[in-house]
Amino acid sequence: MKTDGRDEIEALIAQTALGSQTAFADLYDATSGKLFAVCLRVLTERAAAEDAMQETYVKVWKNAGRYQVTGHSPMTWLITIARNTAIDRLRARHVDHDLADYSERLPAPGLSPEQAAIAHSEAKRITQCLDELDADRRAAISGAYLQGQSYQELSEQFDVPLNTMRTWLRRSLIALRECMAR
Amino acid sequence: MTTEQAPDQMDVKAAEYALGLLTGEELAEAKRLLATDRAFSQAVTDWEMRLASMTDDLAPVAPPPAVKQALFAELFPTAERKPWWAKLWLWQGVSALSVLLLVFLLSSGLGSPPPESGPLYTAEIVSEAGDFRVVAVVDKSTNEVFLTRTAGAAPEGRILQVWAHGEGEPATSVGLWPEGDTVRIAMPQEIAAVEGILTLGVSEEPVGGSPTGSPTGRVFGTVDIPGVSSRL
Repeated sequence: MKTDGRDEIEALIAQTALGSQTAFADLYDATSGKLFAVCLRVLTERAAAEDAMQETYVKVWKNAGRYQVTGHSPMTWLITIARNTAIDRLRARHVDHDLADYSERLPAPGLSPEQAAIAHSEAKRITQCLDELDADRRAAISGAYLQGQSYQELSEQFDVPLNTMRTWLRRSLIALRECMAR
Repeated sequence: MTTEQAPDQMDVKAAEYALGLLTGEELAEAKRLLATDRAFSQAVTDWEMRLASMTDDLAPVAPPPAVKQALFAELFPTAERKPWWAKLWLWQGVSALSVLLLVFLLSSGLGSPPPESGPLYTAEIVSEAGDFRVVAVVDKSTNEVFLTRTAGAAPEGRILQVWAHGEGEPATSVGLWPEGDTVRIAMPQEIAAVEGILTLGVSEEPVGGSPTGSPTGRVFGTVDIPGVSSRL
């Protein structure tokens, strides 16, 4: 994650929350390339990715006032919205992972030291840590995050029973977190 | 078990939620925890941040300009097409309240010095969730803004801060609202000079106000006051 420009993006989100359309336009110009890449990665089709990105920015406009409450760093907040929106569209269901969840989320008092660490030093390490996992498990986590695959779909793809898949993935997540915290 | 396994189980659940792997009962439980359990909510955010870095290697792809046009047309359809008076119906809702407030302000002596002539504008700031409401009266004769809280408050240990901007201008701080149900703030010069659409907003901030010049806490909401002018 790029950390330079972080303050600038944070300020643009804050101005957007105050209803500044110019700040929102600047925020779009500064971040849409990355978010479009995320939507494209998930949806693969350009037209679908364009629609998902438009919906993403509608959510950003409407929820900018809650950005600080979620405790994300600015780019991860935007990427999470884009990814979840794209995944929702991929699954063609718009209920379970909507950003509306944030309104029912307990406020975080700002970036905790742990989050700051994740944002800055851990960020680069996830690729490295994913590489430490077996290829299958790495593919499973990536499949869930970037292709929205369910446990059912993953168990079929890797030809293992559903419960085995769950155990697998959960262990991989713990290993991943431990690796990133090292 | 509570000391060793439980944190891991919670963290795995948070990761599964962030990945979108939970369904049915488990998903409902995770959503409940998200709203009630600070540690869980934090764990979900932490995972979203970890997982988001899986997109680090994705090089930006410039979207076609039509997407931006469609987005702005969707979000701001009235910006060019509708003149300000077309939004007048918005005002009927707040007018009764504002008359009451004006009566209150005048009778409480807040408006005691004989006012020079200048228009008065009223508006209401309401949060999306409806948990926070403020009635604002902008007095152009003195270039002051009066605000009255009718619902909600800053979280404990935090204060309210009032923001404003003209159309296409960056928002600036109007002033702090450290306590009380009402506040009267003199508008800074650049805000007093706004003609046309004046946008007001309220956020919650650390005591002493935002250290950055932009909101750093939750922005409860904003309101656009159209047709603002210093002349009657």
